[in-house]
Amino acid sequence: MSEARAPAERSAAGGTAVRRFLVRPEAPALAFLAILLLAFTLANDRFLTASNLESIVDSVAVLGVVALAVNQVVLCAEIDISTGSMLGLCAIAAGAVSLSTGGLLLPLLAGVAVGTLAGAINGALVTLGRIPAIIVTLGMLYALRGVILLVTGGTWITGVPEGTRVLGTGTLLGISVPVLILFGLFLVMELVNRHSTWGRNVFAVGGNRRAARFAGLSIDRTRFFAFMLVGAFVGIASMIYLGRAGSVQTNTGVGLELQAVAAVVIGGTSIAGGRGSALAALTGAVLIGVILNGLILLGVPGIWQDAVLGGLILLAVATDVLRRRLVGDKA
Amino acid sequence: MSALAGTVRRLGFSREIVLLGVLIALVVVMTLLDPLFLTLTTLLNTSRFFVEVGLMALGMTLIIITGGIDLSVGSNVALVSVAVGFSFAAGLPLPLAIVFGLAVGVAAGLFNGLFITLLDLHPLVVTLGTLALFQGLAYGVSKAQAVSDFPGWFAYFGQAYLGPIPGQLFIFVVAVAVVWVILSRTRFGRYVYAIGNNEEAARFSGVPIRRVKLALYSGIGLLVGMAAVIYTSRVYTARGDSGVGLELDVISAVVLGGASIYGGSGTIGGTVLGVLIIATLRNGLILAGVPSTWQLFVLGVLLLAAVFVNEFFRKGEE
Repeated sequence: MSEARAPAERSAAGGTAVRRFLVRPEAPALAFLAILLLAFTLANDRFLTASNLESIVDSVAVLGVVALAVNQVVLCAEIDISTGSMLGLCAIAAGAVSLSTGGLLLPLLAGVAVGTLAGAINGALVTLGRIPAIIVTLGMLYALRGVILLVTGGTWITGVPEGTRVLGTGTLLGISVPVLILFGLFLVMELVNRHSTWGRNVFAVGGNRRAARFAGLSIDRTRFFAFMLVGAFVGIASMIYLGRAGSVQTNTGVGLELQAVAAVVIGGTSIAGGRGSALAALTGAVLIGVILNGLILLGVPGIWQDAVLGGLILLAVATDVLRRRLVGDKA
Repeated sequence: MSALAGTVRRLGFSREIVLLGVLIALVVVMTLLDPLFLTLTTLLNTSRFFVEVGLMALGMTLIIITGGIDLSVGSNVALVSVAVGFSFAAGLPLPLAIVFGLAVGVAAGLFNGLFITLLDLHPLVVTLGTLALFQGLAYGVSKAQAVSDFPGWFAYFGQAYLGPIPGQLFIFVVAVAVVWVILSRTRFGRYVYAIGNNEEAARFSGVPIRRVKLALYSGIGLLVGMAAVIYTSRVYTARGDSGVGLELDVISAVVLGGASIYGGSGTIGGTVLGVLIIATLRNGLILAGVPSTWQLFVLGVLLLAAVFVNEFFRKGEE
């Protein structure tokens, strides 16, 4: 599926089926997800119903859409932890436009435009400014939150008209729109990663930057577009958020940046870049949804969420290292 | 552009002198905004607020020089604060509770260090995970409650004055001296620079990289523990959200002080100046009546500008 993984798959071709499964980056997450689904189904016979699964996916649609884009940045061997504040700012832009014009298209355009602009600033600072992505996006995380408080003056946006909320609350052919958007964007990203030049470049740049440069690829342009894509997807996600919540607070999106990175690495995309897939981001987001849902079923108080999330990130990165050592893949 | 940087260098401007100039300019601007700023009382009062960030910045300087980073310091403050407060509330005598808190801080740092060295993971990912983990543990253990019925003497750490001088300033001065000696006068200090300049070369030269890193991450855990005790004493409350977001102040101060985020360079003197500039800025913004919402924005932009200027100057030096 990926350029960077191809050698590992070849070397494992003579191995067992288990070994072939293990070299897939999404393997641990998919196995874990299957075990969890089985356990919850055995514990509660109403768990494995179409409507319950749909509601779980529905609840992680915002996270999933953001994770699909952050996944591209991580594949480039970069990171983006500014998405939480970015989502808040996009939702405020979309909400403000919606309050004055209503409708779906103009608020969506406003959200995506603001997000793309913020993403472009991230990308420009990383590529032209030569500042490490973690510093750029940490700075932007706080700077954008400051902008949010500045433009709203600390007040909420409420009473978003129904016409704007379609992306969060609507259904199409009996399936909720957020679920359709999530799976639609997942398919788009899979196609982009397999069949577009930029998608292939992302894997090359993340897998071996020097080799990519010697091969004549534009490292900066590839990374710049990845950061911009995050902005655009956060803009789309902000419309889902706006639709579901119907209002925007000044703390909207706080903590999303950690969840998005968690989803990507839990799903199996390597934090070192070059290895992973859109499926990993989707799996990670759904897994987080199932686990948070399961915590509620088990009666664990919500204040433990952060601890569980942090533990999962550490477990995921440790598993990734151990799995690579197990299959003898030095990548 | 590099010509400009070269000219500046030929004028004999060291980074520390530039920073000192920035600090003096800031103080002048703040005094123009509010004449009360340039009084000994105000300046000494300012120091009550920067000691916590300053202590953590000392440890962060060494970590950033090795090319690493610790994003979990803010959450670790919350964890230690909760450990002190809630072990005291559970019946532990306060001195023991403080020792327990410091031990928790060191253990949290050691956990980071073990994870980073044993699995060869980038500190960024590990401490991003522990940022959430420590924060969550602090919230979970405290059940989002606060403890504030400490005995009177606990206030000593964060609220006492010796004459006009805040007590914690002495702790900070001693810590600066100790860390400065370690970094610039010991073999360990040379190891820190060696790892940051070229980890591979350092390994082949026999530098015990894992042990140095373990010591650094545990060491910042101790400094975080001290900062957390002072913080808890100053606000006289142990809560799960103490110290949230402090990592931004700490990293900004270190980078502003001239440490390269890519590792290999940085000084304690620079970091102290960075801490003073950020403290002056924050305090000045408060005095000038700027809403706290702006401060986040200013700090975020300052961090970006500092790294950009740093790397710009470094290119000029090469």
